[in-house]
This record gives sequence, structure tokens and C-alpha cells, in this order.
Amino acid sequence: MSKTWLVIKHEYWKHVKKKRFILAILSLPFFILLMVAIGFLSVIFQYNDSPIGFVDRSSILDNPIEYQVEAPIGLMKPIEFIRYTDESEAESALHDNNIQAFYVIDKNFIETREIKVIAIKAPDSSVNGEFYTFLKLNVLKDLPEEISSRLMEGASFEVKSTGEQKSANEDNVFVFILPFLVGFLFIMAVNISAGYLLQSVVEEKENRTMEIMVTSLSPNQLMTAKVIGNLSVGLTQLVVWIIFGIIGIFSIFRLFPDLQSTKIDLSFLLLTIMVFIPAFVMIAAMMAALGATTTETREAQQIAGIFTIPMVLPYWFMQVLMEKPNSPLSIFFSLFPFTAPVSLPMRAAFSTIPAWQVVITVSLLISFAIAALWFAGKAFRLGMLRYGKKLTIKEIFTQRP
Amino acid sequence: MNTIEVNNISKTFGSQKALDEVSFEVKPGEIFGLLGPNGAGKTTCIRIVLDIFKPDSGSVKLFGNGMSEGKKDQIGYLPEERGLYQDINLEECLNYLASLKGLSSSESHRRIKEYLIRFNLDEHKKKKVKELSKGMQQKAQLITTLVHDPKLVIIDEPFSALDPVNTQMVKDILREQRDLGKTIVMCTHQMHQVEELCDRLVLINQGKSVLYGALSEVQKAYAGHAIHMRTEDQFPASLPGMKEFRRLENHSHYQVDLDLEISPQDFLKTLVAANININQFEIATPTLDEIFIQVVTESGMKYE
Repeated sequence: MSKTWLVIKHEYWKHVKKKRFILAILSLPFFILLMVAIGFLSVIFQYNDSPIGFVDRSSILDNPIEYQVEAPIGLMKPIEFIRYTDESEAESALHDNNIQAFYVIDKNFIETREIKVIAIKAPDSSVNGEFYTFLKLNVLKDLPEEISSRLMEGASFEVKSTGEQKSANEDNVFVFILPFLVGFLFIMAVNISAGYLLQSVVEEKENRTMEIMVTSLSPNQLMTAKVIGNLSVGLTQLVVWIIFGIIGIFSIFRLFPDLQSTKIDLSFLLLTIMVFIPAFVMIAAMMAALGATTTETREAQQIAGIFTIPMVLPYWFMQVLMEKPNSPLSIFFSLFPFTAPVSLPMRAAFSTIPAWQVVITVSLLISFAIAALWFAGKAFRLGMLRYGKKLTIKEIFTQRP
Repeated sequence: MNTIEVNNISKTFGSQKALDEVSFEVKPGEIFGLLGPNGAGKTTCIRIVLDIFKPDSGSVKLFGNGMSEGKKDQIGYLPEERGLYQDINLEECLNYLASLKGLSSSESHRRIKEYLIRFNLDEHKKKKVKELSKGMQQKAQLITTLVHDPKLVIIDEPFSALDPVNTQMVKDILREQRDLGKTIVMCTHQMHQVEELCDRLVLINQGKSVLYGALSEVQKAYAGHAIHMRTEDQFPASLPGMKEFRRLENHSHYQVDLDLEISPQDFLKTLVAANININQFEIATPTLDEIFIQVVTESGMKYE
């Protein structure tokens, strides 16, 4: 068996077998689940599903079109509307807790737009909204069907940049979410793998095993194996999360069937992969170089944080990237190797990126990745036997091993 | 073919010259001493031989030509900076390192089992390396040096931090390895430890080779015309053929410098004739420490 392979295997299992890894891998889905659960719970606690009453003095609701309120969560019952002929009747129903509130529609509602709400505790704004929808439906009932339903549904806005073919429909939530999600997963995966890699290189120094290793295999074999081994750990974590994510998405589709029409663009995924792989290698190699030049795990981890900042920078300029995907800033972000992995997919979601830009971005990333690997190899050979003494950047460029 | 050939290697770190035109050869099957005080450049020299560092000038040949990945499996190296993976158990650590020396999984398990039993480490094999004592780790490190049955064993400071029992054990193992036909390079500043083991040696001081050759010849070359003797009797102030005498460490131990015209054999006769009870009588050979100090003083260098 090749020695590179042996080291890859060792590096991989060393982390994957640990309890800490399993905890780390489960913590994110657990955290998301917890957030979702808290979200649901807050809806459940806030949402009052007892009926609402109304007293109609305007005669708009004399022969009402039935309006079926949808409960926010399937388990809860939808709100019913109960008609009362006068206010005292409604009030006694309120005091008997038969209804949570009642609405009194003014006689001249069409002119005054006044509706009184009487309740012991003010109802949720969504309850007001539901009642208003019910009322609106009936105000419009004499208009032709197409017009009334158009007014009820509102307009669908399509975001389109000038001169571009591509457009993002506001109804297609995934177009917005996907680039975020992909960028987020990328940053997570990079940070995790790079963290493992950094630790593994520094550990070699802390354990003083470097000399034994380089007299067993070549520094390049060792470095390659460490990069691949630790990236695989990060990827394993990512794949597990993606599986959880897919399960999550399918459950969301079940709960909200409307979303099923969403499609994910294949070329988008291809582009993402083309950008992510060299970016992954580039950052990993830089972490390895960092590990070789510093002497302690803690110190190395502090410096590693610097790499994260340019990666998350595009999130701060998200609005520019979304609204002006072809502005100079957006183009710069998608070309610059550190910001490209997050920016390019984001731009791609809102605009068609010219092929030449994609070619430049990917080739820049690949050349940066190669340069970073060279740099890491050099730093590694020079720094591997320095204990307690840092390697300077100048030395990496000028010294022979 | 020599096992190692070092030709005029020099190496500078920053402004410090670590090695200056050092040359030596190591012959197959011998125990070779690479000696010198702390900071003389011994470890740098070993690292260049093993291709960890590149020399600024000069060349190194291993088994006849340059270093290659395949040759790494034929070398066992015990670095001065002892190191094992602290966070995994001993058996796993040893097997991993053995597999990197080209041993198959079954073969490395078999051999490591033997060594663990021999070194009394078998009951500790499931412990994490960091839970082992320093001496145990030292022995474990020796296993990784020898387990793949290397043709060339290079050991840097073999006796540092070892108690007398383990020192003796290491010496026995080194002799045993030599008897198996292995070539051994020992790199140390504890010169008295290697005197009894080395066949040939090179002495390095401040990056320069100051003495090189077979141990016996070196000692002969630096031997004065003197004897060592022990006696409980009062030592006479003058004897025929005796230039001068001085007491060594304790009362009964003397070093006697002889006149050039008298042989030690004749001087022994003189002592017997003088009715002195002799507990011990031997021709004085200088220790490596003494030779080293003499060489360094002669060449006008400081002994640091």
C-alpha cells in the first residue's frame, strides 16, 4: 500500500473515530432542528385558534362568500368566523371565552374604513389580517372573477437586470436561499477541514514526530496525504449535513407542497463545484503553511481566523450582489479568489455571468491553489524542524531547506 | 561500497556556520561514532545525511548513491528530538510508524508484539503514549527504529535520559545489531559511553571535523608513555625510569609518566623489585574525553 494512502487513512480515522467529531457532526442538524422547533413553538404559543366574532352594520357580509382560514401549522384548527347580530351578544360571548375578539364593521365602512376590534387581549396582527381578507373577498365579490382574484392575490414581481436573460422569481424562494446555503456550507466545510489540517500539522511539531515522518516518506507525500486526509474529514461532515439537509427539504416539501415547483439549476451546481474545489485546496494549503510556520495550536488557530474574514465579506455586501450583480464591486468580489467562492454563486443566481469572467475566476483560483501548495511545501520543509521559533515569510522565499 | 560517504559538506543557518567542510565514511557492519560537544553540528550532519536538510555545498552518498524514497525503508533513525503520537495507544502508534517503513500489517503486528514483550511493554500496549513514562517512551522509540530490520541504524544521543539499566540494555541491543551485520552510527556528546562500542569515529567541534579514524589508532596516537596503577602501599618519591607521578581520583590510583628509554614491562619489574604490592597495572590509554580536550587545545579552539 502506498505510504501516502497510509497517512491519508491514519489522518482520516484519527478524527472520524473520535467522539468529538460525532458530536460536532450532529450538533449542527440538532441546532437547526432546535431552532425550527422553537419557531414552531413560538407560533403555537402566540397563535390563538379560538373563533372570532363580527357584527356587521354595513351589510357587506350579508350573504358572505365563505373564506377558509388556513392554520399556520397543520395540527391546529383554523379560525372560524361567527356572526353576531348586536354588540351585547358578542360581548357576552367574549366574556364567556367563546371567542377571542370581535370586529364591529362600521355602517359606512366603504367611506370611513373603520372597524372596531373589541377584545380582552389584543388579537395577533395575523388574525386581523385574516379577517380583513375575509372582508376584502366580500367587498370584491361583485367584480368579475379574474379581477377579484387578481386583486386578492396581488402581483408577482420578477427581478430582472437590464439586458440579461436570467431572472429570479420572488415566488421561487430557492433561488434566494440556495446561494446563501451553498456559501454557508462552503465556509463551514473549509473552516472545519482547515482546522483539522492546521491541528494535524502543528501536532506533528508538538509531538516531535516530524523527523520520523520525513525519514519514512517524502515531505511532499506527507503534505499531500495530510491535505487529502483532513479535507476528507471536512467533506464527510459536509456530506452528512447535506443528507440531513435533503431530509429536511423533503419534510418541508411535505409541509408546504407549494414549494415543490422549485427546480435547482444544474449549471449552477456545476459552477459552484468548479469554484469550490480549487478554493478548498487553496485555503487548506494556506492553513498547512500556517501550521508549518507557527509553533503552537492556539497561536495557529488565532491566525486562521484571518482567512475567514474575506470569505464572509460578500455576505455584508449581499444587497449589492443581489441587486446589482454586474456592478464593479460585484465583479471584483466574484473574481478575487478569497471572496469568489461565496460571491460567484450569489451573482450567478441573479444574473448570467459572462463566460470569460467564470474562466478568469476559476483559473485565478487554480493558480492561487497551486501557489499556495508550493508555498506550503516550502514552508513545511523549512519550518518542520523549528521548535519554538517562528518562520518568517522572507525566509520561506529566500532560504533553502 | 561504503554505507555512508560524506564529502566536504557545509551548512549555514543565517549567520551561523553549522558545518564546515566535514567529510567521513561509514563502513558496512561497523559501529561508527559521530562525536562532539553540544552544538558542534552533529545533528545537522545527521539531518543532511538523511536528506532532511540540503547541504550548502558538498555531497552525501548512502549505499553508494543519493538518497531515495526506497532507501528510507532500510534506515532506522532515532532522532534526538524523541517523538511519538501522544494521543493514540502505543500499539496503534507503533504499527502506524512501522507501516510507513514498508512493513505489511500482519508482519508489523507480529514483530511489534515480539518487541513489546522483549522490552516489557506488552502490558502497556493499550495505553495512550502520553500515559507512558519517559523510559517506556524511549524504549518504544527504539522499537520504531529497529522494527523494520534496517541495514543502517542511526541513533542520536542514544543514552540521554536513560537510567543505568536501560543504558546497558541499549548497549546490548546495539552490539546485537552489529553482530547481525547492521551498520550503526551513534551520535553523542557522552564520549565515555561510546568508547567501548565504537570501531571508528569522527570528532566534530564547532562545525569542523577535528579527528577521524579507528578508535584504537586514535588512542594509540594520543597515548603518552605512561601507565596507570593501583596500590595500597606508600608510593616512593622516585623510582628508576619514572619521570613523575600523580594521584588520580582516589588515593590508591596513580598515573606514572615514564622515561622514554624504559618500557612498561621493565617498569613493572622495577615495581616488583621495590616490593610494592600492585592491585592493578595497565598501560594508560587516553579516554576520548581527554583526547578531545587535547585536540581542541592544540588546535587553539575553545572547548564550549
